[in-house]
Amino acid sequence: MKLAEKIRAGERLSFEDGVALFCEPDLLALGALANEVREKRHGDRTYFNKNMRIEVTNVCVASCLFCSFAKLEDGAPGSHTMKLEEAWAELEARMHDPPNEIHIVNGLHPGLPFSYYEELLRGFKRIKPDVVMKCFTAVEIHFFARHYGMTYEEVLTKLRAAGLDGLPGGGAEIFHPDVRSRISGDKATGDEYLEVHRVAHRLGMRTNATMLYGHIETFEHRVDHLLRLRALQDEVCNGAPGPRVPGGFQAFIPLAFHPDGNGMKNLPAPTAIDDLRTIAVSRLILDNVDHIKAYWVSSGADVAQVALRFGADDLDGTIVHETIYHAAGSRVPQGLGYDELVRLIREAGRIPIERDTFYNVVREHPRVALPESAVKVRDRKAGKHLEGRARSERAEELLRSSLSEAKRLKVLS
Amino acid sequence: MNLRVAAVGYLNARPLWHALANREDVELSLAAPSEIARMLAEDECDVALIPVAAAAALGDAVLIDAGCISSRGPVRSVVVYSECPLEEIEELALDLSSRTSVTLARVLLKDRPLRFRGMQPDEALAFARGPKRGAVVIGDPALEHEGKFAHTFDLATAWRERTGLPFVFAAWYARKPLEPRHVDLLQNARNIGLKSRDSIAKNESERRYLHESIRYDLDDEAREGLARFFVEAARASLLPPVSPKTSLDTLLQRAADGERLSIAEGERLLGEASLFDLGLAADAVRRRKHPDDVVTYIVDRNVNYTNVCTTSCRFCAFYRPVGHAEGYVLSRETLGKKLQEVVDAGGVQILLQGGLNPDLRIGWYEDLFRWIKSEYRLGLHALSPEEILHIARLEGASVRDVLERLVAAGLDSVPGGGAEILVDRVRRKIAKAKCTSEEWLSVMRTAHHLGLRSSATMMYGTVDTPRERVLHLAKIRELQDETRGFTAFFCWDFQHETGVRVDAGDGGTNIYLRTQALARLMLDNVDHVGASWVTQGPDVGQVALRFGADDFGSVMFEENVVSSAGTTYCIDAAEIERRIRASGFRSVRRNVKYEWLTPPS
Repeated sequence: MKLAEKIRAGERLSFEDGVALFCEPDLLALGALANEVREKRHGDRTYFNKNMRIEVTNVCVASCLFCSFAKLEDGAPGSHTMKLEEAWAELEARMHDPPNEIHIVNGLHPGLPFSYYEELLRGFKRIKPDVVMKCFTAVEIHFFARHYGMTYEEVLTKLRAAGLDGLPGGGAEIFHPDVRSRISGDKATGDEYLEVHRVAHRLGMRTNATMLYGHIETFEHRVDHLLRLRALQDEVCNGAPGPRVPGGFQAFIPLAFHPDGNGMKNLPAPTAIDDLRTIAVSRLILDNVDHIKAYWVSSGADVAQVALRFGADDLDGTIVHETIYHAAGSRVPQGLGYDELVRLIREAGRIPIERDTFYNVVREHPRVALPESAVKVRDRKAGKHLEGRARSERAEELLRSSLSEAKRLKVLS
Repeated sequence: MNLRVAAVGYLNARPLWHALANREDVELSLAAPSEIARMLAEDECDVALIPVAAAAALGDAVLIDAGCISSRGPVRSVVVYSECPLEEIEELALDLSSRTSVTLARVLLKDRPLRFRGMQPDEALAFARGPKRGAVVIGDPALEHEGKFAHTFDLATAWRERTGLPFVFAAWYARKPLEPRHVDLLQNARNIGLKSRDSIAKNESERRYLHESIRYDLDDEAREGLARFFVEAARASLLPPVSPKTSLDTLLQRAADGERLSIAEGERLLGEASLFDLGLAADAVRRRKHPDDVVTYIVDRNVNYTNVCTTSCRFCAFYRPVGHAEGYVLSRETLGKKLQEVVDAGGVQILLQGGLNPDLRIGWYEDLFRWIKSEYRLGLHALSPEEILHIARLEGASVRDVLERLVAAGLDSVPGGGAEILVDRVRRKIAKAKCTSEEWLSVMRTAHHLGLRSSATMMYGTVDTPRERVLHLAKIRELQDETRGFTAFFCWDFQHETGVRVDAGDGGTNIYLRTQALARLMLDNVDHVGASWVTQGPDVGQVALRFGADDFGSVMFEENVVSSAGTTYCIDAAEIERRIRASGFRSVRRNVKYEWLTPPS
């Protein structure tokens, strides 16, 4: 396999390379390569933050098939929209040990005034002026622009004036129209999502990006998705001489599809093997994005811990009270304690670093002498392994058939 | 600090330690060879006169230049006794108290189609009276039975004829170099001991034995004989190869190639090799042992017949003490309902385990087993060693008698639970009332001799150190050499829950994967390694299939012990098969002997 050499030489991977990596049956060899790239970039440094998630409304005009969270109409059973005071109270209740970041994503609520969101941001900043507001996905920004008759730039500028600091990466799903039109046809398109981020980057904002995998998409769709992100990131940061532009994607977060209670509930969820594979390939393709995040809510803390050796360098944060994945059947806890995150990272033999939203170091924790971390370990043989071995056709066939299982079920007419 | 010395109590060793016996600055322990080896491995002594095979298994033992026990010709105390000529022997009993003699016998007889059976010295001697049978007998029992069998085959003579070299049976070893004054102490003791041989010997036969049969010089020739033995035993895959400090790469390659690893090498891999390197080596071993890319699983049900237990293990959240309001013993009615569900789901066996309930006598188990067999025809994978010992104690019967009765009532195989860590330092801390490591192993040995197969397990992550985990694996491997009775190995980390009185030690997914991979590498003589998805979760279980496991355990109807510690997952056969396929394998349903019940799919 020539890919390993290409990756070590720092050459950029092509579409075909990406698909080949997804098809590589030897998960460990793939992981070892991604780990090499990750360690070259970050060594053992592994990031997390003290954040809290708030979802202020689950009323949503979009009808995404994968969503178990949104309620289509205000007043529908289970629908809920927080009063501003209720939302602020969530922070007030945590001021004894305040988060550094508040992460807000919502349904696309047609009945709220734009000022609701501006006031929402202002209120949090009044309570804690230095709290970082990482709020509203590109899909929400697009919805605001349409709904309130503004350009993306106007929306972002107004929200920034009210306290917005960065955009989360949600809403990306799968960009390719063949998939997107079928699973979430009535919200921002892939191009529109990317355009919102482009504008945000131009304004000097830093944002994240995601990909929802493991439903009806193919490997080709995943690679296409990653390449679109890489191309946009190139516009901001690649090749241009001079000081680095402040904007751009900071982190990429693969999100595993969870099937409970949504329009694709007949589909099986992707398994841990797919989670690790996707983390690893993302690390290898996205050569211009600094961080790959193993979002523990998506994969479970145990698999996220392994992912820290498969290319990921970030575990997200304490989160406190997640509701979107939990609506889709996630059985992980809704939040993790600070110490728990430190422990997870240490057990993986890494150095835990509490960061702020923008990856400034808040606190660096010392390494401890657990078996993985007692000695600096190197993957001596793994790289060689990938190059020399004859491919197992049967393994590759099994892999492809297991991953196309979803498609065979033909849940969509 | 006094020097802690351990030595074999046999007559032939006496000249080496005789002069140490009454010294105030020496703590001398005398025991059987295997126990001395264990003491050195578990740091219960500073220097030990151990069988050289045990030193090779340790891998990092330092040879101390203070004499040895060797022989250049007939040794008289390491022999095969039989009533028929050697060439006619078909079954050979091995006296397990010395691995060196056993290894020597296997090296010398490796080209002969013999079946080996390990047993205690008196059993072995009785066994050797049978037709086409023989026994390797060592030490004092060998001398006592000199001339009492029709045929004697002296192993030291055979070695001398084959190699022209002396054979070293035992030598002084330490785990780190001794201070010069301690080496002097041992050397002086030997010199005094050699002069005292006449007073040590009780009769002329013993005097001749000490003067003529046994040599005590660790000279160049003896060292050469020792080196030759290590090479030949390694070539026959009986001992890990003795090699100078190798690079981690070489070690990984050797492990992947299936060469036997010493305890020190296992410890080094666990501490220094990366997650991927361990995984790839374990995966290579898995692929060689199971080239079909098949992962098996079983449809069975874990039934916990009682939660009443007298051991009060500190890590257990399941048990209730005798007389507690929440204590239960399952009624036939409840049990019948559960068993019918297993039959309905196409299940092939039940895993029956429970607490040590003093109200349940052997008759209760026999009736139960017979009833299950006649009503439901399910395989009975039942009663861990601890429960078997408990029944034996309760009945005042031997383990062998209990097992024979249970087998007659329908017992098919023995689960490997309760092993925890087979190092008594750990067991004393977390499960004081439980059996010792040796007791656990000896129940398994007896079960295997009766033809029962069993699994082996390890629960790590309490107070155990990485080295103790490796020692655990080495003990399983050693017993497996002897009996070939273990079908599979499973490990998991301690499942912590509030209320349990043990703090969690090393845990987490990476350590689980590393530990399982190391087990695959160390346990070169165990066919199967299972992923413990019940404790680690099905996600990690899947990943574990890439770290050396070739079995996905069982479908879960219920499980009570681990789930009382807060771990609950329930997945059915279809979901297990999906996960096996998603990991790149074909799935096969198996029975307790790992025989395939379905074609790969």
